[in-house]
Amino acid sequence: MRYLIILFVMLLPIEALAISAEDVMKKSQAAFHYQGKDFKARVMMKLISKGGSERTRELTMLRKNFGEAGGDQKFFIYFFQPADVKDMTFMVYKYPAKDDDRWLFVPAINMVRRIAAQDKTSSFVGSDFTYEDVSGRDIQDDVHAIVKEEKLGGKDCYVVKSTPKAGDVDYSYKLSWIDKANYLPLKEEYYDRKGELYKVFTADEIKNVKGFPTVTKRTMKNLQSGHRTEVTYTKTDYNIGIEDGLFSERFLKQPPKKWIE
Amino acid sequence: MKKFSLVEFSVEHPKLIVVLSVIVTLIFMTQLPKMKTDTNPKNMLPATSDVRVWNDEVDKTFALYEDMIVVGVQNEKGIVNAETLAKIKKITDEIMRIKGVASRDVNSFPTITNVTAEKGTLRVAPLMTDTPKTDAELKKFQTNLFDNPLFINRIISKDGKTTAIYVPLEKGSNGKEIADKIREILKKEKGNEKYYIAGDPVARDTFGAEMFKLMAIFAPIAGMVMFFVRYLMFKDLFLSITLMMDAMMSIVWSMGLLIALGFPIHIMSSMAPVFLMAIATDSMHIFNEFYFRYKEKGNKKVAIIETMRAVGRPVRYTALATAAGFGVLLFMSIIPVKVFGGLVAFGTVTLRILSFSFIPAMFMFVKESHLDRASQGEDITAGIGSKLLRALAGAGTHKAGNTVVIGLILFAISIVGISKIVVNNNMVEWFKENSDVRVADREINKALGGTSLGYVVAISESNDEYIKTPEAMRYIEGLQRHIEKLHVVGKTFSVADYVKRINHVLHDDPKYNTVPDTKEAVGQYLFLFSMSAKPSDLDNVVDPSFKRANIWVQLKTWDAGAMEEVIKAADEYKKQNPLPLKLKPAGIAYFNLVWNHEVLWDMVKGFVLALIVVFVILVFNFRSFKWAAVSYVPLVFTILLIYGVIGFSGKRFDMPISVLSCLSLGMAVDFAIHFVSRLKQRLAESQEPLADALLWTAARPGKGVMRNAVLFAAAFSVMMLAPLTPYITVGAFIVSMMLLSAILTIVYLPALIVLMKNWLFKGGLR
Repeated sequence: MRYLIILFVMLLPIEALAISAEDVMKKSQAAFHYQGKDFKARVMMKLISKGGSERTRELTMLRKNFGEAGGDQKFFIYFFQPADVKDMTFMVYKYPAKDDDRWLFVPAINMVRRIAAQDKTSSFVGSDFTYEDVSGRDIQDDVHAIVKEEKLGGKDCYVVKSTPKAGDVDYSYKLSWIDKANYLPLKEEYYDRKGELYKVFTADEIKNVKGFPTVTKRTMKNLQSGHRTEVTYTKTDYNIGIEDGLFSERFLKQPPKKWIE
Repeated sequence: MKKFSLVEFSVEHPKLIVVLSVIVTLIFMTQLPKMKTDTNPKNMLPATSDVRVWNDEVDKTFALYEDMIVVGVQNEKGIVNAETLAKIKKITDEIMRIKGVASRDVNSFPTITNVTAEKGTLRVAPLMTDTPKTDAELKKFQTNLFDNPLFINRIISKDGKTTAIYVPLEKGSNGKEIADKIREILKKEKGNEKYYIAGDPVARDTFGAEMFKLMAIFAPIAGMVMFFVRYLMFKDLFLSITLMMDAMMSIVWSMGLLIALGFPIHIMSSMAPVFLMAIATDSMHIFNEFYFRYKEKGNKKVAIIETMRAVGRPVRYTALATAAGFGVLLFMSIIPVKVFGGLVAFGTVTLRILSFSFIPAMFMFVKESHLDRASQGEDITAGIGSKLLRALAGAGTHKAGNTVVIGLILFAISIVGISKIVVNNNMVEWFKENSDVRVADREINKALGGTSLGYVVAISESNDEYIKTPEAMRYIEGLQRHIEKLHVVGKTFSVADYVKRINHVLHDDPKYNTVPDTKEAVGQYLFLFSMSAKPSDLDNVVDPSFKRANIWVQLKTWDAGAMEEVIKAADEYKKQNPLPLKLKPAGIAYFNLVWNHEVLWDMVKGFVLALIVVFVILVFNFRSFKWAAVSYVPLVFTILLIYGVIGFSGKRFDMPISVLSCLSLGMAVDFAIHFVSRLKQRLAESQEPLADALLWTAARPGKGVMRNAVLFAAAFSVMMLAPLTPYITVGAFIVSMMLLSAILTIVYLPALIVLMKNWLFKGGLR
């Protein structure tokens, strides 16, 4: 028995090191951004300033995967709020290791416009989330390392440090607490170029939807500006059979009701 | 006569008095290490003042920063070349790494949001994501830069030779420390580029740091000069030291008390030591008289008591007048003004108590042989000084009419000068013409929109996102064009500029560089913009509920008057274009304007009040309205002359000048009190005719007056060598004030007294 314990203790760190940081991040990406064949949610975003004033964004987000986790994806977004942007739609073709293609429909002038997506750090619809936070960042853009393993909110986590290879983002590195059980990120800390913590992501509610653990409430808080964004997903669903044809300019102008409601 | 007993007691127990004085001084000295300083002139208005509360609200509503440093980069050959652009990128990156810099909102080529259309694709992204290297890239960058009207005069000058990096500071950061770190970064760069660092926090915090350094250098130098001049006058080291100690003790007592009461040292109160040193020289009259008396009597103790009897009354009243002059400031509304007034008033009272105790006590320790030697020169008929004074007073006495006519002419000229005085405080102008701060400010203001920043906030009362309506947008646009007509305004920008820009770019047609026709379009454009821009881009110009819009107004000068012009123009525009939008000014430029009004006018009010109080004291002193009126003349005349010169020279009535006004009052009146009191004493004691009595007064107490003035002038002339203009102003002001008021006292009092003798001495001289 005693030997068994010794053997177990000796094995423990080896077992922990058995998975590489990059694998953890890959599994996390699959669990967080690529779950299911397709995905739909009604997204409610509250943009809250330091002074407490709120702006609201309400939208339906549709996503379809084309290929493996880490591969191509298409997004279709329909806006309900703010009121004056109702009927605005937004479409993204996401490619790994290449700039996205984005289109926006502006109903007031009945015009679809391509939008450049060169900048990875820009805010998603004015929130504290960047486009990358919403759709995921390519794994090979960063160097990953497991810095420690610890419990967060009673869950065993890997703590992964990801350092961007190029200076293309606002942060110098990011720490992610990845749940060992489902590989969802429970918390992320972003450190700025002065090495100071400035942005914190937290997964505030995780629900099981069709067997997929899904983050249904999340917050991104900017500690420097005091601004934060709270996001709630409702009507979340997976594998609903979204057609490829939805992701087209035609439907941007006239989005089908069955998908956006 | 309580004070008399204090003098006698001090003469009887000199050791006790000295020991007591030293102990009290040591007690106050224990407080000095607790000193806290507050060099931020902003704090002259309390945090609860309307303007600060409003400015804080505006900062919060629009996510703005209180303080911003502007770094100018200039290249005579043009900014758009691979090396300069690479440097700008590198410098911006490094500045963003400085602690205390609000990095997320630094605006420079690599970070400022640009909205463009390229091959049918709309792009909302930082202007310079990658540094252009090839000719094609440079050309494209050049087009992008000059194509966006939001950039012209903001981050690029029209001639393309100057750019700016706007560096907002986190709350509580020290502008000078950050400016110094930026300087270190810039020092590493070689090449043709010139760099300038400007902005309110740089001027303010640099001044704050320099101020204390200067006070630490110039106050002691002024003290030493006084010490040596005094030594030359009296040829007695011991007495020079006594006077020095007198001043030092009052400084320690009053600063100690201030610190013990928990007040921080503000810019104003930091000047108090120099002022007290100045006021301390009034003890000169005691010494002056003592030497004369000692020479006459030959007995130290008797001479001291008689001296105090002779000069006691004028010394008490001059102290009272000085203390009252500063004391009225206690009734003003600005706290540091009150503190300053109370501080100097307390110091003055301290000085007088010491004059009646410590100084007589110290006389007892002087060896009589010293005194014999020192008092040799004291003869009112022989000494050169005395002769000169008699001549001056003679001119007044014998050619009274002419003297007064000349006076009236000067008076009239002064009034013209005074009418030209502009009340204004411009902190940048506290630095010398060729100082880094001044040069940077001037160069950046010449090339770009301006280093000073004000806001005009448009406020709607309705709840329907009124700002998004085309009429509100066009109103804001029109207001900008109207304000831009002012020559002090270099650049304005607002939410309307973003809307126009997006309209233009979406249609990819310059024809559309206008506000669109529907509220929906405005809303959707702004939403589109916010989808990719930095959150602050929109936050800075419009509030989340679209009830308020913020119009940025860059000003080319820190003069308070500039913002006043903007407010006037905005009001004008509002009258011509009635719309349910209120317009309210805000920002640092507006703060400076209010500060100017509140602090400076508070000082002006205090000054006027002090003038009245001093007059009342004169009436009590002489128990005669007439004599008070006559002795008031040199004081008023001195002040008028100085302000006349200030008016003609174009120098503004700023904070240092306003502080000095009170001092001038307190000091200039001293001379007249001494002169008139002693004249009346002389007339009562001797049977001389008036003219002779006047000449005697001019030569004997007049010598004290002159000595006092020269001493002062000598000490303060040192300050004219200071690198900051307020100190030069203080130096020049005090030197001219002391000399002028002494001369005016000695020339004009005799002239006036001779001319008005029938009125003054009703029913004959005696």
